[in-house]
Amino acid sequence: MNTIPFGPRNPPEDPLLAKAAELPKEIEPAHDLWPGIAARLSEAPRESRTRTFNWPAALAAGFVVASVSALLTWGLLRDSGPAAPVQIAATQAEDTAIVPVNYGPNSGITANELVVRDELLAQFREKFGQLKPETRDAIVKNLAVMQKAADEIDAALAKDPASGMLKGFLVGTYKQELQLYSSVVTAGDGLARRI
Amino acid sequence: MQQVTNLASSAESSADVVSRASRGDTVAFEDLYRQHVGRVYGLCLRMTGHPESAEDLTQDTFVNAWRSLPGYEGRSSFSTWLHRIAVNAVLAKRRSPQGRNEISMTDDAGDQMDFEAHATLDDATPIDVERAIAGLPQGARDIVVLHGIYGYSHEEAAGMLGVAVGTCKAQLHRARHLMRARMGSENAT
Repeated sequence: MNTIPFGPRNPPEDPLLAKAAELPKEIEPAHDLWPGIAARLSEAPRESRTRTFNWPAALAAGFVVASVSALLTWGLLRDSGPAAPVQIAATQAEDTAIVPVNYGPNSGITANELVVRDELLAQFREKFGQLKPETRDAIVKNLAVMQKAADEIDAALAKDPASGMLKGFLVGTYKQELQLYSSVVTAGDGLARRI
Repeated sequence: MQQVTNLASSAESSADVVSRASRGDTVAFEDLYRQHVGRVYGLCLRMTGHPESAEDLTQDTFVNAWRSLPGYEGRSSFSTWLHRIAVNAVLAKRRSPQGRNEISMTDDAGDQMDFEAHATLDDATPIDVERAIAGLPQGARDIVVLHGIYGYSHEEAAGMLGVAVGTCKAQLHRARHLMRARMGSENAT
């Protein structure tokens, strides 16, 4: 362990950044926050020291995400022939099964990224009811796998928030989720055109 | 030589405090809180602009650190580790429905420059760097706070914020441009 103080490694050349670097790093809150924190510590479950991140499981989850997503894309393209039934009426009922991935407090996924995801998700929901039941089941299962991966990675990030590799895994899961929605939206467009 | 010895002793002592806190010693954890609260609160305040939100986030940061401390392996300095937890807390708050209203001081175009952060500063003083930073749009402000004030590299700041390094550099460029424009116009009046 070390406690090397952080601060600019090199003096910034830009005068504005140089001034920013001179600003006080510490600002004391108006109140002593310790009593509130102390009161919450007894209720905060601590992680086990011996608990380690399950890398094989996370890697497997990431692989499954990638594989299922790719298979789904292929399946959607294959299924999107003229004979594919349009099940608009099923949209509302099946839509409830769709739960987007919930990224935990350590994920670092930004509000803007969630806005992008939610916009794509809205388009995805419009197409979802047009899919075959087995395809819809595959999507729901795929999202569950992504959620499991996101949960595991988030828990690991709580222990090691500095890990670029974990962040990479999480960003990968986010991209897979977008890819899943995008695949359906794109395939759905093809379906609509054929009909 | 004495100075070197003192520094080594100080580092050892800090590591010992972290180690004791990691084992559940709340007195040691309070020591860590006293040592680091100013930096954590400063970071949260500058990223949010809301003193009340910054206080809540500072509390969340230390509670989350307490939870995660048994797993802290010292791969980064304790203060860096703590700052990452604080940034994660800020980002999580922004994602929450409450946070979207409470913390979104500016839209990404930076058009809404008048917000509560100014309440923490002396309005009578001419615009300074601190106020210029507070007036930046969120993405640009984040990188100036982390890179400009707290000295993290672009790679570290990008990792904390979950964005690409190129995005960090572009946001910094944008921030410098906006700050120059704002400070220049203020000085001219």
